[in-house]
Amino acid sequence: MAKIDDVKANVEAGKTKLVPGLVQDALNEGSAAADILQAMVDAMGVVGEKFSTGELFVPEMLIAAKAMAKGVEVLKPHMAGDASASLGTCIIGTVEGDLHDIGKNLVAMMIESAGFTVVDLGVDVSASKFVEAIKANENVRLVACSGLLSTTMPALKETVQTIKASGLTGFKVMVGGAPVTAQYAEAVGADAYAPDAGSAAVKAKELVTV
Amino acid sequence: MIIIGEKINGAIPSVAKAIAEKDADFIRDLARSQSEAGANFIDVCASVDVSVEMETMKWLIDLVQDVTETPIAVDSPSAEICAEALKLCNRPGLVNSVSMEGKKIDLIFPVIADTKWECAALLCDDTGIPKSGKKRLEVFAAIMEKAKEYNIDPSRLHIDPLVEMLCTSEEGINIILDVIREIKKQYPTIHVTGGASNISFNLPARKFVNQAFIVLAMSAGMDSAIINPLHKHMMGLIYATEALIGMDEYCMEFIGGYRKGLFGPVK
Repeated sequence: MAKIDDVKANVEAGKTKLVPGLVQDALNEGSAAADILQAMVDAMGVVGEKFSTGELFVPEMLIAAKAMAKGVEVLKPHMAGDASASLGTCIIGTVEGDLHDIGKNLVAMMIESAGFTVVDLGVDVSASKFVEAIKANENVRLVACSGLLSTTMPALKETVQTIKASGLTGFKVMVGGAPVTAQYAEAVGADAYAPDAGSAAVKAKELVTV
Repeated sequence: MIIIGEKINGAIPSVAKAIAEKDADFIRDLARSQSEAGANFIDVCASVDVSVEMETMKWLIDLVQDVTETPIAVDSPSAEICAEALKLCNRPGLVNSVSMEGKKIDLIFPVIADTKWECAALLCDDTGIPKSGKKRLEVFAAIMEKAKEYNIDPSRLHIDPLVEMLCTSEEGINIILDVIREIKKQYPTIHVTGGASNISFNLPARKFVNQAFIVLAMSAGMDSAIINPLHKHMMGLIYATEALIGMDEYCMEFIGGYRKGLFGPVK
């Protein structure tokens, strides 16, 4: 099925203008919408991997995600009633006291491209707001907390511990941000850590497949 | 151009190591070399856990003052730390920084009001980093209201318009250039500052983006920058740009900088 391969290649290359047409072609050729979606998810996986190794840069990740979004628009009517296609809901936010969001936005974008439904709480999010969001949303499988300032690391710790102490279950907690390390993540009780948007999406998929 | 030397920052791995190992000579060398390269302020940023930040700031500030009289820019996201750290300085320097977030300005402005301390002010508030030029100017107006209230002359302020990373911005830096021009139009004696390397984050060949940015920003009115003064190519570009925009009569500073070797070995 050549067209579906073209879809994957062009999402990887960020060809926003070509992808919608190619998705339609793939549908016309007989590919299932779910398979085409998976091809685009796989493409973003490749992009995320190349970003983590430094081969691709942020703008290239952005246009690949944009290309996929355009492709998804074409697929939507053909995926009616397929809420089970989502890997689950991911709640994401930058912790209290910290206004930085670009890295967090990239992670949100990559996790969404991987097949999650993302609820982005924004910046300066209190621990209690995270907990409220977990309660208010369905099928929460992942909570992701971000912090850039070394001075908001205590807030990150408090957020993770508040979430863990809330009694709510069914999800894993992942943390990230420039001053965060794998050791710190473990020390504060998080389930996982990722150093960048590409590996965050990979980790997210791992966490819900256990 | 006011040069704020950025090298003493715990976010830089080699400095973090020096702080952890108490390598005093490393820090003193950074202070000395930046002063000799022409820095007007030496930025000191601990970037460590808040429980040890104040003692680290003291250690760093003492070391800098051991070897140079160049004023210090006390740098912390915590206004409380800045307010404490400035007391350790032998001469007035620069507070890096305040913004309209929380109580930062109300904490710092009264402390520096009757002194010669200068202050960097970021154009953000409790709603986050502004997404538009209009919002940046609104935050600027709020900051200047506070400056008036506490009687701080505009010439003591360095406004940082918070340049977005180029890789995620859709129109380049045009909005920022407009904001800079508007700020200088309203207050001709105020300074406009910024970091020279945030702009290129996550692009390859970052130095070209950083240098082109500095030239463009200077032509719009940026007259202060947080950079590495040991980067001779950048210093040459800054001095040349200053002369080109008419801020260096008879190119005296440029020629002098060349003779002092600030631009490195060039013809």
